[in-house]
Amino acid sequence: MRLFRSNLRRLARRPATLVTYLLLIGLILLIILAVAAASGQAADPQSALAARLILTFPAAWTVTLSMVLGIGGMLALTYGAAIAGSEWSWGTLKAAVARGEGRSWYTLMGIAGVTVMAWVGTLIAYAVGIVGAFAGAAAVHVASATVIDAQTAGDLAGQLARAGLGIAMDVAIGYAIATIARSQLAGIGAGIGLYFGEGILGIFVPQVIKWAPFAATSAMLGGGSTGLGGSAAAASSSRLDPDLAVAVVAVWLVLAVAVAALWTERAEISG
Amino acid sequence: MVEAGAALVARGLAKRYGRQVALDGLDLRVPNGTVYGFLGPNGAGKTTTMRILTGLVHPDAGSVELLGRPFGRGDRRALFDVGALIEAPSFYPFLSGRENLRALAASGALAPRGRVDEVLDLVSLRDRAGDRVSGYSMGMRQRLGIAAALLNDPKLLLLDEPANGLDPAGIVGMRETLRALAAQGRAVLVSSHILSEVEQLADVVGIIARGRLVREGPVAGLLATEGMLRFRVLPAEVPAAGAALERLLGPGTVHLDDIPSRDWLVARCDPSRAAECNRALASSGVYASRIEASATLESLFLEVTGSTADVRGGIA
Repeated sequence: MRLFRSNLRRLARRPATLVTYLLLIGLILLIILAVAAASGQAADPQSALAARLILTFPAAWTVTLSMVLGIGGMLALTYGAAIAGSEWSWGTLKAAVARGEGRSWYTLMGIAGVTVMAWVGTLIAYAVGIVGAFAGAAAVHVASATVIDAQTAGDLAGQLARAGLGIAMDVAIGYAIATIARSQLAGIGAGIGLYFGEGILGIFVPQVIKWAPFAATSAMLGGGSTGLGGSAAAASSSRLDPDLAVAVVAVWLVLAVAVAALWTERAEISG
Repeated sequence: MVEAGAALVARGLAKRYGRQVALDGLDLRVPNGTVYGFLGPNGAGKTTTMRILTGLVHPDAGSVELLGRPFGRGDRRALFDVGALIEAPSFYPFLSGRENLRALAASGALAPRGRVDEVLDLVSLRDRAGDRVSGYSMGMRQRLGIAAALLNDPKLLLLDEPANGLDPAGIVGMRETLRALAAQGRAVLVSSHILSEVEQLADVVGIIARGRLVREGPVAGLLATEGMLRFRVLPAEVPAAGAALERLLGPGTVHLDDIPSRDWLVARCDPSRAAECNRALASSGVYASRIEASATLESLFLEVTGSTADVRGGIA
């Protein structure tokens, strides 16, 4: 566990962590601001109602989480890719292996550390998003019957757990891609490409893409998504049942972790 | 079979990268308590050897024993008593020197408490240990790399070009540290291009060329048996001079060196025999206009690796 603790200490000091957190929080606040600003301007009452959902409690709890998971998922993927890629490009993996550290264990602990930091960022962003939704609702005078009802409160823990699983999968996929690419930039580029590529393909082959990692992540939360890329595609395609989606995401997570670990185990480490 | 008294034994190591042969049956033996200078021109296979010895890459053929234990895939614990600096030192640029060593100490073998500060002291980096590595000079990074290699108090130390970027004081400090480690019975394998440094540092040298070990032995012994004398004579007297020297030194010991001109003879012999050779030439009626001793590791290196001095810089 000393490797895991060391990873957390290191990631907490890493500028990429702070940048990712700030980017996620900034994007969430920007969306809320845009929704609040545009909420009174929609000509169609139905559209206005849908746009205001993010400012309307108790629905805002789920809608904000879905939004954080959408944007946060993409950032978690790039964050995972950045951390994994730098292990190769900075030679720090090489140094650890030359000290006798197990390659697979090093990879597993790396993914675990990045996942925990991504969870922390997601929770912070979610809290900021909820506060922002409150502030936005107050600013544009969106009335809510209640802040949170019993059913929303009951579902929230489960929804957060599912979001956590989705974030872990995003991190692991980013980590695996960068491990194969052995580069931060290539990992980030390929990860973003995969994310948006899935979204675009979802328009043409929704029945296939609904099994893909990001569409399944979006489906885990049930309702509509205001996320980007894969999440948006999933919203317009056939969705998996939420419980089935949890199993699919778990499979993708295990697959990504296994690929990263096996690739590192078998790789010739040079340079 | 495990060999006694040797910290490191490699037998018949072979490695190819595609069509390029990096190692071609390399044998290596590093005894305990010695500093072993591992020399070779660029691309000779030194770094590939280091990578194999630390489990970073795997050989296509051959075997390795580290500290008396066979070392192969899955034997990572054998590296717990090995310290290594392979190629450029590797660190997280956003962490300080001390934090980097702590991060490294969290992997592999357990480092004793307080060891981080001990090794920082050893490489004279304690004053700057709190600074971010991104602000370190090349020499400071190199010193931190050596500190990292010493972190687990290794019995076998593998250092790839450790003097890179070090200032003269740093080189002297490194030499004293490595000599002290060898005096404690530890084995140190140092690859270097700075031949004069290896000559001062190493007890034993091994010279590698085209993936094979071409010379190995104690530095003094190699220089005595592999030394050279160069004689400049009149071009017309070259055959007579060559015959006179071969009568003294033995058949096949003398050859014509046609660079820079065809009037230099090179004789492989202990340079202390210069007067004896001069007398033999004079007895044959040949008078050398110049006699040069060439008994440095550099000349030996150039000869056995088939390298020539490149006036554009470096060894060709």
